[in-house]
Amino acid sequence: NKPTQNYIRPCYFLIPSRGTPLSRLLCNCDEVSAGLASADTIFALSSGHGRCGVAVVRVSGPASVTSLRSMAGLTGSLPPPRKALLRSITDPLTREVLDRGLVLWFPAPHSFTGEDSVEFHIHGGPAVITAVLEALGSVPGMRPAEAGEFTRRAFQAGKLGLTEVEGLGDLIHAETEAQRRLALRQMSGELGHLYQDWSNKLKRCLAYVEAFIDFSEDELIEDGVLNQVDRVVCNLQTEMEQHLKDKRKGERLRSGVQVVIAGATNAGKSSLLNSICQRPAAIVSPIAGTTRDVVETALDIGGFPVLLIDTAGLRDSLDVVEREGVRRARERVEQADLTLVVVDCSNLPIDTQQAAAFLQEHLKSVMSTQKQNNCLLVLNKTDLLPEEQRQNLDMELRQVSGLPPACLISCHSNEGLQDFLTALHGNVKTLCGDPLSGAPTLTQARHRTHLQQCAAALAQYQRYRDTDLALAAEGVRSALTSLGRITGRVGAEEILDIIFKDFCIGK
Amino acid sequence: MLAKKTPLLQSFRSLVFRHASHLSRQQYDVIVVGGGHAGTEAAAAAARVGAETLLVTQKKNTIGALSCNPSLGGIGKGQLVKEVDALDGLCGRAGDWAGIHFSILNRSKGPAVWGPRAQLDRQRYREFIQSELLSTPRLTVLEGSVEELLVTEPNPEEPGQHRVKGICLANGNHPISASSVVLTTGTFLSGSLFVGQTTSPGGRIGDAPSSPGLSQTLRERLGLRTGRLRTGTPPRIVKDSVDLSEAQLHPPDSHPTPFSFLNTHTHCKPEEQLPCYLTFTTPGVERVVRESLHLNCHIQQDAKGPRYCPSIESRVLRFPGRRHQVWLEPEGMASDLLYPQGLSMTMPPDVQLRLIREIPAMHRAEIHTPGYGVQYDFVCPTQLSPALQVKSTQGLFLAGQINGTTGYEEAAAQGLWAGVNAARWALSMPLVALSRTESYIGVLIDDLVSRGITEPYRMFTSRAEYRTSLRPDNADLRLTLKGFEEVGCVSSLRYQKAVRVRDKLQEALAALEAIALSSAKWRKKLPGIHMSENKNKILTGMELLEYNDASFEMLASVFPDCLSPYIEFAQRLNIEAVYKSHCDLQKKEIERVQKEENMCLSPDLDYFSLPISLSEEVREILDRVRPSTLGAASRLQGITPAAVINLLHYVKYTGQKERGIHRNQPNQKEQGEEQRCV
Repeated sequence: NKPTQNYIRPCYFLIPSRGTPLSRLLCNCDEVSAGLASADTIFALSSGHGRCGVAVVRVSGPASVTSLRSMAGLTGSLPPPRKALLRSITDPLTREVLDRGLVLWFPAPHSFTGEDSVEFHIHGGPAVITAVLEALGSVPGMRPAEAGEFTRRAFQAGKLGLTEVEGLGDLIHAETEAQRRLALRQMSGELGHLYQDWSNKLKRCLAYVEAFIDFSEDELIEDGVLNQVDRVVCNLQTEMEQHLKDKRKGERLRSGVQVVIAGATNAGKSSLLNSICQRPAAIVSPIAGTTRDVVETALDIGGFPVLLIDTAGLRDSLDVVEREGVRRARERVEQADLTLVVVDCSNLPIDTQQAAAFLQEHLKSVMSTQKQNNCLLVLNKTDLLPEEQRQNLDMELRQVSGLPPACLISCHSNEGLQDFLTALHGNVKTLCGDPLSGAPTLTQARHRTHLQQCAAALAQYQRYRDTDLALAAEGVRSALTSLGRITGRVGAEEILDIIFKDFCIGK
Repeated sequence: MLAKKTPLLQSFRSLVFRHASHLSRQQYDVIVVGGGHAGTEAAAAAARVGAETLLVTQKKNTIGALSCNPSLGGIGKGQLVKEVDALDGLCGRAGDWAGIHFSILNRSKGPAVWGPRAQLDRQRYREFIQSELLSTPRLTVLEGSVEELLVTEPNPEEPGQHRVKGICLANGNHPISASSVVLTTGTFLSGSLFVGQTTSPGGRIGDAPSSPGLSQTLRERLGLRTGRLRTGTPPRIVKDSVDLSEAQLHPPDSHPTPFSFLNTHTHCKPEEQLPCYLTFTTPGVERVVRESLHLNCHIQQDAKGPRYCPSIESRVLRFPGRRHQVWLEPEGMASDLLYPQGLSMTMPPDVQLRLIREIPAMHRAEIHTPGYGVQYDFVCPTQLSPALQVKSTQGLFLAGQINGTTGYEEAAAQGLWAGVNAARWALSMPLVALSRTESYIGVLIDDLVSRGITEPYRMFTSRAEYRTSLRPDNADLRLTLKGFEEVGCVSSLRYQKAVRVRDKLQEALAALEAIALSSAKWRKKLPGIHMSENKNKILTGMELLEYNDASFEMLASVFPDCLSPYIEFAQRLNIEAVYKSHCDLQKKEIERVQKEENMCLSPDLDYFSLPISLSEEVREILDRVRPSTLGAASRLQGITPAAVINLLHYVKYTGQKERGIHRNQPNQKEQGEEQRCV
């Protein structure tokens, strides 16, 4: 009779009352790209994708030891080789604890790849995995592995026998097939169109720069061509940076989805909080205005980190402390990723149509119309309604338009709580993106790295545009290569095709 | 001073070309067929490596002829010339000797893409090449037409594998035997010429095509896949009939830069250089082309022509309503002809005259020789190894247009490499390949043998992924040392010079690194440099040179003691400083590629029966293309990472590594000896 048991548990790495600044998530682009180019240490989730108890993240290459030191807090001596050690895994930049798990140190040559390697055995939730992968990505000199790269390295070190290679080859084949399908799925969507569009624009830019380099002197390629490239490169760079910032899904995974419980006093907000966390996290009493400050609880809901925030009931009060509580409550509602508006349904008009109108009015008093898109109506205390009225209300709310989805529950009897949690989980999942379909924890970390690299490479174009076009072109070329890792490789022939299509070359 | 002795006209006139009956021997290590850019480089390179070499050509006096444009180098092509020179080839020095108008293209776009280029005096170029060949030890030149290529019956143990035995001349009774034959047939292989509606067999105007027996042997005996390509050349214009005052004058660089690393200046004095002229097409040109299309059979054929060097016909048809450039280039110091670059055409001669008279400056122009088109056979180059040896025929090497390329520089580069390998094969030395990570020649050959061609292949800088590392300025460091130490085609004189350059550059870079001052101090010493760093930041001399407005000369004036000894390398150091960090970044990627390039796939692998897990599709691709290395395989479309892994394993654990191109040395030796006994 504890319906929440299956997928709600305390969250390991979220620390309530501490917002994660957006900027921290976006590692410095230059740093990332410099790291990528100068050293060659790779990491990847090596256990299967999807929810699992334990996930293994493998790191291989010269910077492995750096990752071990900076993420497992091993400043002194390294652990004995190939012995599991229980450590807190921390973010190397913020020192924030991401998880507690096992670390294993495999010094070269006694590792799978024959290089220095580290394994992190962490909890299998997508949030933890994503957090650890992103943290690894921020270690200088580290990049996500390409498909089959571990095997290739193992192979080059002479570590594999024939059957192993065959098995791994097939596995990689399966993996790349899956990735291809996944990529296709992602590519057919809005995101795919966006990346493809960028890739096309970059291709054209590169073709124009190359045409200018290879042909302009004794051909008729107008100088205006480069100005065109300048504009496109500048726009693309801005767009990519915006894109990297804009999609807050990654950040939500990292810092938790902010779910704010709001509503009038005595609607049962704190009871809802307690029901969700299955413990008396907040004081509940029949007295209106019991909760006066913001109460935060970190939860893991179905693998997603959630910061559940209980707020003071919204009412005009003369009490200075309560007024401050209400101000904070409204502030939190405006910052919320998702708002649970709790209503005492015994206060609703008995006529169900009037009830809908009442709810619309009520919502307006709680939040701006814009915010209502990310909102769940929670009609509490259904145990106080006669069965017939409850059913009518339920029916009416399903039909009426202009209201957010509504759940009828009773924190007292737990009636409807399971459905509500399913709805909550669904909302949280949408807000985070769904890292359980395909392998997005991996691909997303990769996409991010590639896009950051791409944007950084475009900066190289701008840096050298006026002094050395060869180096500037190199920037566009590596930008395209980075993007090509998401959208597909672009060969030299393709660039020449564009040149010959768009310019009259001839002598 | 031109470092190499200047060719003496006297010796040129008395140049002794042998007749078949007077040949001192009937057996050579290497026979090179063809005396164009590929053939001459091949013959000279083979002789440098140490092989007794015979060059066979139809006409002795067309050796080293510039069949089309009177110029050498350019963007991408200039890099090839520098690389051929770095490997001790001929064309760079010949260009310095024959050049009459030098300029570095792309001067404003970064040293990696500078394109050294020169207009040439046709006659002087030919003279230099002929004189060089004459003075090359171990090289004999023979005038004659090759009737047939002699090959062995396929070895029963290796079906489809032939071996070259030698050649038969058209009127020679005796076959001439050789361990290696290099074919550089240019446009002569089943060549036909097109003017208007007239078609005649020929490889160049006034010259017969190569013997039909030759292409027959390639196709039928050896089973090689061939295709047909076309190209063309513009009419030559009588200089006096052109009103050059109506065209724009384009002067050369005031300080001509020689191609060759051995030369400090060009033969032509700066002030004696000739200018080029620029004019443009008019709507009248387009009208003439359209009116005469029905009289133009070359343009209606489906053989593929180059997209980047199109005839005037295809230019106006593809981009109608535009003005197209026409460059009027001198043909020589004393020549009374002009070469109208951009006006390659194949219409009937009377229409050609009408067309050029539509162009400003040429309203009263006279045509000396009409333009014409050429169609010729090429051998699909995917049938070659990176050593340019035909995979199915031991000892047979191909270079130049026969491999589907266009351009003197592309031909010279292949010729040199084919000559090197032909000699090494004959002398039982392992064959050698150049990687695309170290040279444009490597890019050229890798593109040809692993991707094949769909149109005549021309070099562009954009084809070289590692362009910022493969610069014209450092070709000697990239290739001369290797050319001496590993390949054997570089003289010790040139080698010693390159070693000195390398050591001096290293010293100079170390000296630059050793100078470290705060920004503030730099500013005080060199107020002209615009620095953005905060004043406490320490900058080395190397870092300072990365600034656009800083130069080694400026630094040397401030630190004369430690820097002035290197002032002769000022330009190279300026370039090195800007590119060094980028090249260091590229090194990792290059090393990875090279690792894969070193994993050779034997050319006779039976991909269909390999006991490894590969899909049928992958097997078919591999069987068709037969990549010579794992690197080449992984660049092929349709090859999955899993396939690469499985191949990798196969290569490494079945003893195939270090074979393929460096394959079967003991075996080869036996064959070599056997051949000499024939």
